[in-house]
This record gives sequence, structure tokens and C-alpha cells, in this order.
Amino acid sequence: MNYDAIVIGAGANGLTTAHYLARAGKRVLVVEQHQTADPSADIGWVPDAVIRDLGLAGAGLQIETPDPWITAPLPAGGTLELSRHIDRSSEAIRRISPGDAAKWPDFCRRMRTLASVLERLYVVPPPDIETNDVRELARIAGLGLYVRRLGKQTVIDLARILPMSIAELLDDWFESDVLKGLLGALGIWHLKQGPRSGGTSFNFLHHHVGCAAGVFRPARSNVTQALCKVPGVEIRRGARARVLAKNGKATGVVLEQSGETIQAPLVVSSAPPRATLLPLAIELYPDFARDVSNIRARGVVARGTLALEQAPEYATFCIAPSLDYLERAYDDAKYGKDSTAPYVEVQRTDGRVEVHVQFVPLGAHDGLADRVAQLLKVRPNQVALQPAEESLYHGELTLDQILFMRPVPGWSRYRTPIEGLYLCGSGTHPGGGIPGAAGRNAAREIL
Amino acid sequence: MSLRTTPFHPRTGPLSEGQAWRRWAGYVVASSYELSHEREYHAIRNSAALFDVSPLYKYLVTGKDAARLLDHVVTRNVAKARVGQVLYTPWCDNEGKQIDDGTISVLGDQTYRMTSADPTLRWLHLNASGLDVKIQDVSESTAALSLQGPCSREILQLAAERDLASLKYFRLTSAKIRGIPVTISRTGYTGDLGYEVWVDAAQAVPLWDALAETGAPYGITPAGMLALDVARIEAGLLLIEVDYFSSRHALIESQKSSPLELGLGWTIATDKERYNGQAALDAERKRGPAWQFTGLTVDWDSLEQLYADVGLPPRLPSQAWRTSVPIYDRGGRKQLGYATSGGWSPLLKRYMALAHLGSEHAKPGTEVRMEVTVEHRRRQAKAHVTALPFFNPERKRA
Amino acid sequence: MKQYDAIVIGGGHNGLVTAAYLARAGKSVLVLERQPRVGGAAVTEEIFPGFKFTMFSYVVSLLRPEIIRDLDLPRHGLHILPLESTVTPMENGDYLVAWGDHDETRRELYRHSPRDAEAYDEYGRLMHFMAQAVKPIIGMVPPDPTSFAPGDLAGLLKLGKHFRGLGGERLHALVKLMTMSSADFLDEWFETDVLKATKSASGIIGTFLGPRSPGTAYVLLHHYMGELDGVFRAWGFAKGGTGAVSESIASAARSFGAEIRCDAGVSKVLVRNGRATGVVLENGDELRAKTVVSSLDPRRTFLQLLESSDLPSDFVQDIKRFKFRGSSGKVNLALDSLPSFTCMPGVGRQHRGAFSISPSLDYVERAYDDAKYGEFSRRPYMDIVFPSMIDPAMAPPGKHVMSIFVQYAPYKLNGGWTDAKREAFGDAVVNTVESFAPGFKSKILHRQVITPLDIEKITGLSEGNIFAGELALHQLFFLRPAPGWAKFATPVHGFYQAGSGTHPGGGIMGASGRLAAMRILKDGA
Repeated sequence: MNYDAIVIGAGANGLTTAHYLARAGKRVLVVEQHQTADPSADIGWVPDAVIRDLGLAGAGLQIETPDPWITAPLPAGGTLELSRHIDRSSEAIRRISPGDAAKWPDFCRRMRTLASVLERLYVVPPPDIETNDVRELARIAGLGLYVRRLGKQTVIDLARILPMSIAELLDDWFESDVLKGLLGALGIWHLKQGPRSGGTSFNFLHHHVGCAAGVFRPARSNVTQALCKVPGVEIRRGARARVLAKNGKATGVVLEQSGETIQAPLVVSSAPPRATLLPLAIELYPDFARDVSNIRARGVVARGTLALEQAPEYATFCIAPSLDYLERAYDDAKYGKDSTAPYVEVQRTDGRVEVHVQFVPLGAHDGLADRVAQLLKVRPNQVALQPAEESLYHGELTLDQILFMRPVPGWSRYRTPIEGLYLCGSGTHPGGGIPGAAGRNAAREIL
Repeated sequence: MSLRTTPFHPRTGPLSEGQAWRRWAGYVVASSYELSHEREYHAIRNSAALFDVSPLYKYLVTGKDAARLLDHVVTRNVAKARVGQVLYTPWCDNEGKQIDDGTISVLGDQTYRMTSADPTLRWLHLNASGLDVKIQDVSESTAALSLQGPCSREILQLAAERDLASLKYFRLTSAKIRGIPVTISRTGYTGDLGYEVWVDAAQAVPLWDALAETGAPYGITPAGMLALDVARIEAGLLLIEVDYFSSRHALIESQKSSPLELGLGWTIATDKERYNGQAALDAERKRGPAWQFTGLTVDWDSLEQLYADVGLPPRLPSQAWRTSVPIYDRGGRKQLGYATSGGWSPLLKRYMALAHLGSEHAKPGTEVRMEVTVEHRRRQAKAHVTALPFFNPERKRA
Repeated sequence: MKQYDAIVIGGGHNGLVTAAYLARAGKSVLVLERQPRVGGAAVTEEIFPGFKFTMFSYVVSLLRPEIIRDLDLPRHGLHILPLESTVTPMENGDYLVAWGDHDETRRELYRHSPRDAEAYDEYGRLMHFMAQAVKPIIGMVPPDPTSFAPGDLAGLLKLGKHFRGLGGERLHALVKLMTMSSADFLDEWFETDVLKATKSASGIIGTFLGPRSPGTAYVLLHHYMGELDGVFRAWGFAKGGTGAVSESIASAARSFGAEIRCDAGVSKVLVRNGRATGVVLENGDELRAKTVVSSLDPRRTFLQLLESSDLPSDFVQDIKRFKFRGSSGKVNLALDSLPSFTCMPGVGRQHRGAFSISPSLDYVERAYDDAKYGEFSRRPYMDIVFPSMIDPAMAPPGKHVMSIFVQYAPYKLNGGWTDAKREAFGDAVVNTVESFAPGFKSKILHRQVITPLDIEKITGLSEGNIFAGELALHQLFFLRPAPGWAKFATPVHGFYQAGSGTHPGGGIMGASGRLAAMRILKDGA
């Protein structure tokens, strides 16, 4: 069987690329290492263009829009629930801080504006500022103009807020610890940094992308499932593939367990860039190989499930009582230890109850399940955690690993030095938590 | 803490008559032992000169993928080299610009010793990703001497107590000198009959003694870097940081050179798989390099006239120089390039220089002008492009 | 009443530079300084008889060469002596030294890691380029990206062109330096922990961040931009301490005709119809000038010297939001003899350089952790020099002074900076040194401990922040000290701002003083 293209990984990005290639007439084989898809990875904004182009609505795509979208315990008892309706949230906040309630609508509006700038950036390949190509320079100028037209405040906000720490940003706006804690958690989401670290405001905005104003948790969906239902590509599961290349050209993949070789002139990998490229080091120039091995993807999250007797009422339950709480949780991770008091978030989605525990650096996790159980007021045997792995996003979303620096500085257009080998996963622009975006960008770059 | 001394220093130290030392790779080595380097130079061409070349960086590369690593890094074809062969080779960056040059000695099937002018351990490691290879820095543990000159073979044969006539040019063999295990390679930096002797640093002093004693009746002369400089210019051999800059040290693009621009096109293998800089070098070879590295011979009469004009006899440089000297066309106005090394050859009785000229002007015989400062004024002497090397005796390869 | 062309509020080095340039251009200038002597945080005082302490700042490198040339500072007494080495004692008794000589340093690094020895050369080369690349930005007035004014657009284009001209590798390195933590940045180059710790320490100087906090790689670069005689990353000690630097600038200013008055603190700037007309001194005297410049930090300049009604409200909000968290302390000691460090026993050439107490990244990070939650570091990071070893006139013959710069000592200390807390902080510093140099405590003749509160009280630097405002990306360049007001002018006509709270930021640079003077002259004051 001759294939025109092999895509490694049947996650949202891999399948997206595969479908775009298939619609362009290519015969595509998708090779996925796991037998079953991992639904917990379907988190984040699915760009409208992907839904439209691939007909995902017809394939049963469902995007969850829970209301309230977050529930956080209050120190004196009771909970704070934030709604998709800004005024309802204001009401809820008013009970703990009238000052914060008054600022809430403005805050949501400002963040939405900034997120919309990112959204515009994310559905296209990153700007190439080093090029002399007139069209690209015009595009960049156009982008600059678009931002400027959003107003002086937006330009200043972008310059100021992106490098800021989320703690500083939130301290400027709000006083309530619980509110700042649950918002701050989004700033450190899947990041090995505390809320006082620079660049966490960017991470916050990144995950706000695609959300309605006033909603600060990425949406859950069944996008991978929907993509699987769309016909047009062949998917082979349970086989881990490694790229084959010779003399600077990709020749296909080899399936590690069976040793079977499948040839194709085009290989697109949605696997982490490091895992894809380092085995090919001999084909790479050492400076590039060094840049690849310098990609930071330090996993700090243990994910798992909760076995509860009945489905909980909340959509998302967040244990992040203050910014200091999060900062202390990070302190432990700096020295390679699990947080004594971790940030825990529980999410009810699609019949499952998922739990996110941060900070849990790689390694052994003695007593972690117990601590989590204690925080959630459940029994330890109800908590099932997987150990932390390399970052879900194949590359931390820090300011030095985004846009034209992602995955490797200068190689942000999904190509690699190996002809015929492309990258399309969350390790590329725009990064993790935006399922399908990288896949689409990569596909358009290839075609 | 200060500069370190080589393993031969217990012998070379006391020989210095004028305390004329210089730095080489963090070591002190002699510029000359005697008060003038003249006799030391003549020993190279007349009897035998003994140089301490221990400061060279040396790396032992072993393992299944040793050849593969080296082939990835350098331009010569290492896999095709036979045990006992020595390769002179440059290596390049991804744009085909030269990083450094050195030798690779094929000591065994999976054992290579690489020398370089600059530290290269990190570069080797960076290129070795995913390869089954071991890289050891043996710079400090291996000492080396260079014995160059018409009597070098006889001296070495006596010292090693074996025949060396069959040791061909750029080949190596192992031997024992007074029981000390050594590697002898027929290599050197003088373009003459000569050998380099590689020994474990702990045995450096006895080796020196052995050679010094054996060579005494043949006029063996410890020689320093000043003498070596003259000989290497005669041989047309380039020196890093003088005749070219490592692309990794270059501050601007124009400071970089490709091997083709340095006359090293012959070291670029055409039958190899991927190596650093291959694509760029292939492209450059097709369109032709922009620069050539050539010799220049300064016209004596022209030079003499410049001095006569101010009433002086001609002044020849007492030592080889290592500065950049502009080279102009016949008309004296358009700059064609620059010379980077030069000096008087006492043997050839010529004022010679090594220069970089734009390719269109580099044909041997082309007449040019070389800048000379005479009595504080910039003047120009006639010179013509000469093919390298200036000196190439039969005995070098015999 | 005499009307000056310009009154400069604050006799710190930037204020003095502004005054000197204005006077050189023929203006009549008066500098008003609250303390009995000029210098601000660059002062030398004989705190203990016979012993001269370079009280706050202690080394020089960032002082702009063009200022040294334009004002002919050597003629006015500036003499910078080289500081050649940095020794980092390690907790296991070993050490890491960076010597002045390249070969010696390479050998020392090789001892720790052969690959790091080679990487060091490459790293040094890259940082050299980066310093070159960023240098023009130090000397330029930041263009305003929110404006469509031709000057700003031209400035932005020029900047864009400059960055594109850097080429791939260097542009990427610049992005990394602007955004990463110094620890992460150094992790890409080196494996030796003590080397990374020592280098990343220059990323946390005066900063309320730890080496693992993003944004510290920028401060690393900021300190790399120091140059002496064209050699980057060279630090020196001014003969007579940094006070001598201030004195030389003051002398240059006077030589051009500027008048400097000490013991003359300013309480308010006089504003009429949105225009500055002069100042009121703390003693009530009024002085008139066509132009008034404040070299005090932005908080004092705008929230103290002016009424809030003189300023637009969003500007006031921006200034209130400008962060000043002081995190540094200083301990100055008079010593009977030099301490002997366990890792390098005895007294030798190492005492002519600096000692860096930064044995590991975790050590420095933990020092930061203490400060995050409102305590001073129990085992602080320290940058130690012995000024008397370089300039023997700083102490009586055979005796010595020791200057210890300390991170971290947060301005907002739990329970406040009482006298007891000050002494406890001093003890923490001295005990930490003792652990690396046993017997050191017995050599102390006199101890002066300076907390961020002391820095604020004495020099006027808000919250004791030595840079007059944190050097964080969102407070730099066109955002310093507030968006739209980064060009040394202020919302009040005829009133200008200079000092480290403006571009290009802190360190004894003098750059902002000069740029402010240029702006004033351009505006035709």
C-alpha cells in the first residue's frame, strides 16, 4: 500500500493535519501509539475554521459550556461560583469583595480584547520577522496596524501584560485571595512557574483564547472523537512510529514494535519535537540538535480520575485559595519535590471526573494521592493518578518558546531541516491547549 | 596560577638563552631557544630541528561509530582511510565556513586520534548525538615532538632501532625508543622530510633525552616557534588566527573562509554522505570560490628601489610577520586582497608572503603591489603571484 | 530674584550628569541636593575613623564611555582600577574562579567540566554580541509604539531594522535573554552548577526575583553591557569608591559653571498654569527656573514633588503601579586584617577581586524564597569586594574595608525593619561569611548594616530599590516609568525627569542624565 503521507499521532492536531492533507487528495495513514484515544487531552479552543473546513459539527462535535464554569471553596464556608454571565459573576463576587465586583466587567473586557489578538495570531503561522519577503513583511505590518487600531490601551496592555507575572496583574486589579487564586491558577496551568514568575500573564491569556468574556477555563470538547468519525484517512492504532530519514530526506517511518517499515515521501509528526527529532540527530546539524534538546517541556501535572459515588454538581472545582498558596506549591517543585499543598482542580466532563494536580515534578510521588484526597475530602482510594510525564504541551508556553521561537528558534513554520518531515503537534505554534490549530497551520504550510 | 608548562619543560626550560617564550593554547613554549632563531631555522633545512608541539589539542575517538562521527564532522573521507594513515583535514560549519584544521591518525579499526588548534571536545560531543562513540580529551596526557629536516629519518631510525624508510608520507607506525612506546607519524608543519613523535606525557623527558643524545652527532637542534613560522610559510601552510579565522570566532561574515577559499579544495571528499557544510561547499564549488589563497614573491629590485629612494639599504623583516598587509593591482590603487603571513626565506633568498586574493586576480604570474612602510611612509613594492608551496623538496615524500 | 535656566533636583550621579551637560551647553544650572554631599547612592563616607566605606554602590562598569569622554572625567579625578577575578567558594570546600586571563579561566573551568570550558568561550562571544546589539538601545530615546508621530515611527523602524540585522542566531538569543530566567538560559550552555549560580547571580542584583524567575536573564544582560576601555563585561573599582565617581561628575559640572547646593532638599515643584516655574525648598525658600529636572525616582518625582491635580489621573495611576520593591542590603566592615577563605587559604591575589557567595543555584533560589514571604535571607547571596586591596587609601595601612552587597533583604519585612531586625540581618550576613571563612568575625573592627529602609531614608530611593524602579520587562524602555512618558518629559511643561527610574534603567550609567539633558536642550530650554 503506497501512502503519500504518514501522520504520527492521532490526537486532535495529528488528525486535523491528516484530514486537510486527505482533502487535498493525498493518501494518508495516521499511526497512533496508543490503542485508545485519550479524551482528557481534548481541552481548549477548537478554531472555527477547523470546525467548518472539516465538518466537525456534522461529526458530532460537542463543546461544553458549563455554567457556572468554576466553583471554589471559600475560607469561611460556602463557595464562589462564577458564571458565563458577567453580571451574575459580579453578583457572586460582590459577596466577598464589592471592590472586585465593580472591577470584574472591565477586567473581563480587557482580557477578552487581548485574547482576541492572540486568536488572530494563532490561526496562522507565526510572523517571520527575519524574512525579506515583501508579502510577509506586509502581513506583519498589517498585524501591527490591526493591533494599533484596537486602541492605545491595548498596545500598552500587550507590551505590559504579556511579560508580567499573573500575581502582579491580579494584584493590580483585585483584592480577594480566592478570586486571585482561581484566576492565577490559569496563569500557571501546566507551567513550571509560580504566579509571581514573569510570563505567567501570557500563559493566562493563552488559555483564555477561545473562551467567552468572563470565562477563564479552557473548554472541554470531544474534538478527537469527532475527528475520528470524519472519513478520509486510515488510522492504525497501537503502533509507535519512528521517523526514517536518509541524506537529509524523510523516507517514511518504522513501527518500533513490529519493525515494519512504511514508506512515504511526506511525514508529519504531532509527537513532541524532541522525541521526533533527536533520534535523527545524525541527520541534523549540531546547533539545531542542541536547540531541540534545549526545548523545555518539564511536566509538573499529574492527571487522573476521581471515582465518586455520584456525578458532582459542579463543572470545575478549584482548590487554589490564594496566590501565595500557588506560589508555595511551586516552591516545592523548584527543588524537585511534589507540592506539600498542591493546586488541585477537579473537572466533570463527559461522564468522567478528571483531576489535575500541580506541581508534581517527574519522579516518585509518595503520599500524593493521600494529600489530594485530603484536600478534596474524599477517600484516597477514590483518587487514581497517573505520574507526571513530559509536559502535555510538548514545550512549555513561556515567552521564549512561542511564536517564531517555537519549537526551535527560526524553525517555526512546521518544517524541519529534513526535507519532507514536518511537525504539527502542540509543540509547534500556537502551542498546547488549542486543539487543531497547529494541525491546520501545518497542513496549510505543507500544501 | 599562570600558564602551564609542557611535559618537556624540564628540558626546554633550561635551554632558553633569552627567556623568549610565548603562549600556545594556555601553555608556554619557546619562541626561540638561542638569542636568535636563525640557526634553529637552518637546522630545519640542513640537519634536524626538534620542536615541542605538545600544546596541540588531541582527542581519542573510539567505538563503533568513531569513523561515522569523524566523517560527519570533517571534509575528508575517514571511513576510507586505512589503519596507519594520517589525514590532514579542515572541518566546517553548516554554511561551509572553516572552523579549524588538524589531522586524524587512524590508529586502529575503531581508534582515531584527532588534533586541532582550538579546543574541539564540545564540538565533537555535539556532533555525536545518537552515536555509539567515546571521545576522550588526551591533550594533557599525550606529549608530542616534531623532528624535521634531512637528518630526521636517520636520527629516528637510530633512536627507534628500526628501519623507517618504508614509512611513507602521512603514514604512521608504532615503535619503541629506548623502551618508551611511541607513535611515529611522518607528518609535520615544515613541508620537509620530518616526523612527529607522540608519547605518553609521563615519558616525555626520557624521550627528549633519547632523541637529543641520538641526534647530537647529526646536529639536532631544539627549535622554537619563530623558526617554525619561516618554514611553514615556505611550505605554504596556513595558520589559524593568522591566515584565517575560525568561523566560530568571526565577528562578521567577511572574517569567515571556506576551505575552497583557503586552497584546501583537495580535502573535500566527493564520495561521502552527509557532513557539516556539504551542501554549501557543493554549491560553492559549482560557482567557484570568491577568494584564493596563494603565495606572493616580492620583487627584489622593486623593494630595493623603495629604500634606495630614501638612501637606505633594503630592510628585510628579521622575523616572519603575521599581520594583514594590503595587496593592490598593478596600478597600485585597487585593492585585490591582503597578505596575512610573510617573511624572508634564508634558503630561497626570497621575500615571500601568503595572501588572499580575489579569484580573478590569483593566477600565478599575476603582477601585484604589496604595501611596505618605508621610513614612516606607505609605499608599494612589486610582487607577483606564486603557486604554493615555495619550497617542496623531493625528500619530503621520498 | 535670579532665574536659572535649569534647576536639577537631586545630586545623584544622573542629576549631576544632566547638570554638567546643560552647563556645558551654556545654561545656568543649579543642583539641589538634600544631603550634605552629592552622590545619592554613589557615595563614599568615613563611617569609622580612617576607614572609607563605599556605602551603597561599590563597583563601576556601566558608566557610559561617551560621558567619561564628553565631561573629561579623568581630569576631574575619575580613576577606575581593574577588578580582575571572582572567586566563588563552594560548600564542599572547593571553589570556582573566573580569572582575568582567558587561559587561566579556561583551565579552571576545565577542572570542573571540560565541556563547560569550551562552552564558556562561545557563551562569552555571544554575550559580547548581545551587549553590542543592545548598546544602541541604551543610548536612544525610546520611541512610542502607540503613537503615529513621524519621529516615533522612524524610531520604531530603526529599531526593527536593527533587530532584523542581528541575524537569526543573535536575534533568537536576544529574545531568550529578554524573556527567560537566568537559570534556564544558563542551563542551555553549562552543566557546572556553581558556574551557573555565580553567573545567574548577576541576574538577580537589585531584583525581587530568583534565578529561576523569568525576566532575570535580562538583568544578566544588563550587567553584561558594562564596558571598560572597550572591553565588555569588565568591572572596575573607582579609586576612592563610587563617591569619587559622583565627585568627578560634580567637579566637571562646576567647571562648566553649574552651581551645586547641598543641605538643600526640595519639597515641591512650583507649577503655574501647567508649567513648572521653580521649586520650594524644605526650608521654605523659593527658587525660580525656566526648566526644572527631577532626578529623584518616579514616585518621589510625581507623587511627592507635585500635587496630584498637576497630573493626569491615569498617569498618576501608572506611577502608583510602578514597582519599587527593594530587595537589597549592604554590610560595610572595617577589618583588622583580611579573612582567609577555607577554599583558598591565605591572603593573595584573590583578595584583589570579588568573592561571590553563590555556591549553587538552589542556594540562591532559597535565599529568594525567604524574601518572597517577607523575611531576609538566612543564607544570603553576597557580592564581596575589599576596596582597600585595590585602593589602599580606603583604609589605614595594613587594615582593610570590606564591602558586602546582599540579596535578599525585602523592604516589606514581616514586622518591619526594627533596629533588632537590622542587627539580625547583619548577623546573618556575617555568620554566612564566617561559614566560608572561619575566624573572620574576630577581625571586624566596625560594622555598618544598611537595610532597604535605611537606603530609602538616606538616599531617597523609594522602598530601597537600587534601580529607582524594578528592571522588569514591563517597566522598561517605552514603559519606563509610564507608558507614553518615557522620553524624559513629563505632563507638566518645563518639568523633566531623569534618573534610573527612566530609560535605560539603573546601575551607575549616567545614560539617562545625558539623554534628559539632550531632550531639554532640544526642546530649547
